[in-house]
Amino acid sequence: MRALRRSASLRVTLAIAAGIILISLSAMGLQYQLTARALAARQAELLETDLDAFAANYQQRRIPALRQAVAFRSQTMLPDEAIYLLQDRAGVKLAGNIGGWPLGITPEGDRFEPAPVLDYRLPLGPGGTEIAYRGIARELPGGFRFLTARAETPREVTLAGLRAVILPVAAGLVVLALLAGWLTSRWVLARIGRINRLADRVAGGDLSARLPGDRPGDEFGLLETHVHAMLDRIEALNRATQRLSDLIAHELRTPLNRILQKIRTLEAPGPQKAALEAEIHATTRTFNALLDISSAEAAGGARPGLVPVDLAALAGELCELYQPLAEDRGMTLAAHLPETAMVLGERNLIAQVLTNLLDNAIKFCAPGDAITLTLAPADDRHLMVVEDTGPGLPEEIRAEVTRLFVRAPRDRQVPGHGLGLALVQAVATRHGARLSLPATGEGFRIEISWPGLS
Amino acid sequence: MPSNPPAPRILIVEDDDAAARAVAAAARDLGALPTRVDSYEAGLAAASTGDHAVIVFDRMLPGGDGIEAIARLRATGSTALVLIVSALGRAANKIEGLERGADDYLAKPFDPDELRARLRALLRRAAMAATDSDLVAFGALEIRIKARTVHVGALHVPVSPKEFELISYFARNAGEIVTRMQLLENVWNLHFDPQTNVVDVHVGRLRRKLEQAAGRAVIHTERGEGYVFDPSRSDP
Repeated sequence: MRALRRSASLRVTLAIAAGIILISLSAMGLQYQLTARALAARQAELLETDLDAFAANYQQRRIPALRQAVAFRSQTMLPDEAIYLLQDRAGVKLAGNIGGWPLGITPEGDRFEPAPVLDYRLPLGPGGTEIAYRGIARELPGGFRFLTARAETPREVTLAGLRAVILPVAAGLVVLALLAGWLTSRWVLARIGRINRLADRVAGGDLSARLPGDRPGDEFGLLETHVHAMLDRIEALNRATQRLSDLIAHELRTPLNRILQKIRTLEAPGPQKAALEAEIHATTRTFNALLDISSAEAAGGARPGLVPVDLAALAGELCELYQPLAEDRGMTLAAHLPETAMVLGERNLIAQVLTNLLDNAIKFCAPGDAITLTLAPADDRHLMVVEDTGPGLPEEIRAEVTRLFVRAPRDRQVPGHGLGLALVQAVATRHGARLSLPATGEGFRIEISWPGLS
Repeated sequence: MPSNPPAPRILIVEDDDAAARAVAAAARDLGALPTRVDSYEAGLAAASTGDHAVIVFDRMLPGGDGIEAIARLRATGSTALVLIVSALGRAANKIEGLERGADDYLAKPFDPDELRARLRALLRRAAMAATDSDLVAFGALEIRIKARTVHVGALHVPVSPKEFELISYFARNAGEIVTRMQLLENVWNLHFDPQTNVVDVHVGRLRRKLEQAAGRAVIHTERGEGYVFDPSRSDP
């Protein structure tokens, strides 16, 4: 059942096969019915002709003529084809091709009328086999009893022959129908599969992926053309957004640069000029962080641009970079790293994540605090944990601290813009990594689970 | 410097006047001759006709992107060093530029000091023939590149691998101002600006080690600009 729900191919195959089988079997059934009915009608006609003839004889000279006719028929017909019998009121056989009145048959009906008809079986076949008969039994005026019936054998033989043919034909049909269903579904679904694979590649980040070859003019070709048109549109929009952020960068940074160059020529005290310069650099940094976040978000989950990066080596390098700083401020920075931990990533972005986390840790911790960076394999992932014994995260901002510009009110005095963890989140998403900020009794703890490179 | 070499020529391809003026001023400060053009095509034409030590290329120029020009410059046989100065200043842009052949990449807005330091390092590289010598000596201070050791006279100065890379980079730019950003980029391969000045602590430690061994300052601080590695200079 699950396979049926999961596979459209299987469903289409079975539906087509069932349809073909149903139609064919109905056609064969109808044919059988018609044949059976035609044969029955033919038998009835023969019986009626006989009855008409007997009626004519009886009309002329009553019993003697009937007796003559029955005797004549009995000579030419064998009992396995038709039976005849005429008895007198004492039950003595006057003419006929069977021995006596069959048991269990009561005469009914009027003289030589075609109805009512009786169906019964008599052991008159070769070797005493039973034969089905259809005919009449009547009591004529004067107590004479008259019986005639036609064997159903020809009809039954024909129908049995038909049935014998229908079974293997039906079996063959089932096989052919399944084959036809399978071929059809394969053909249809192969066309859909092409489009699905294209969608996978696009979802994987390759916006410029297209189907090779010509588009046929049918509905599938039309679907492919539509999908291509949509992809062209998405690509164009994406390029436009990229161009826009480049333009914004250019149009804002170029004047900022002019201001920065002019500050040097101002007649103002050095510290004032330095403060202005620092302001401009801080603005640029915010600006860079925002662009980094948005571009990491835009590329989220996409593979192009990612290369194998050794998380362990990179974490080691950055710990080494921050170690002396932590030491100078009276904190300990310890790293527990495996030999290697390969991921598919952008070294520069992962370095920014580590820098932001270590920067934060050192910024918020006080002398005596301990900062720990741990990297450990967890199934097919690498779990990176940065924790410290500092003031931790205020509970009220835990849920939204990875959003843009979210900062704790208590940290107003600490420099920063509330973009650090937002960038960490964006970079994690870019790499298909999962980020969590578990509630801790004390201190800060962040866990990032990076998908490993097998 | 041996004899009096001709002043090196620097080509500036930049459409923003203020930026072009700042680059030209820095070039003149360093004793180089700046020439300026303001479009992509003019830049390519000037680059292929003149013998420039350094070409400073903008990216979003009328007519094209300076990064695209690098490949075309190299195809014409130009050996000029290329410094990209661009408003496309995110780490990803810098890495892209360096990967595609730029010798250095500076983001706008830039500090005039930072620009000067970058230009100086490039001019020095352009003037210097590549030296394969294993031993780099500054008086009694000796750096052995292959053995990765530092000695002052007979005294061995223990340095960590990172500190060795740091002192090697300083030695390559001896006597010149080296900025924190240059150190981050060249020694730590980080192309963004951490909020804390982590580099200072590392330079401070190396400086103390060398000072203890040499008995005098070897790395000097230029306030607001960076550091100068100069074992022969004595601080006032």
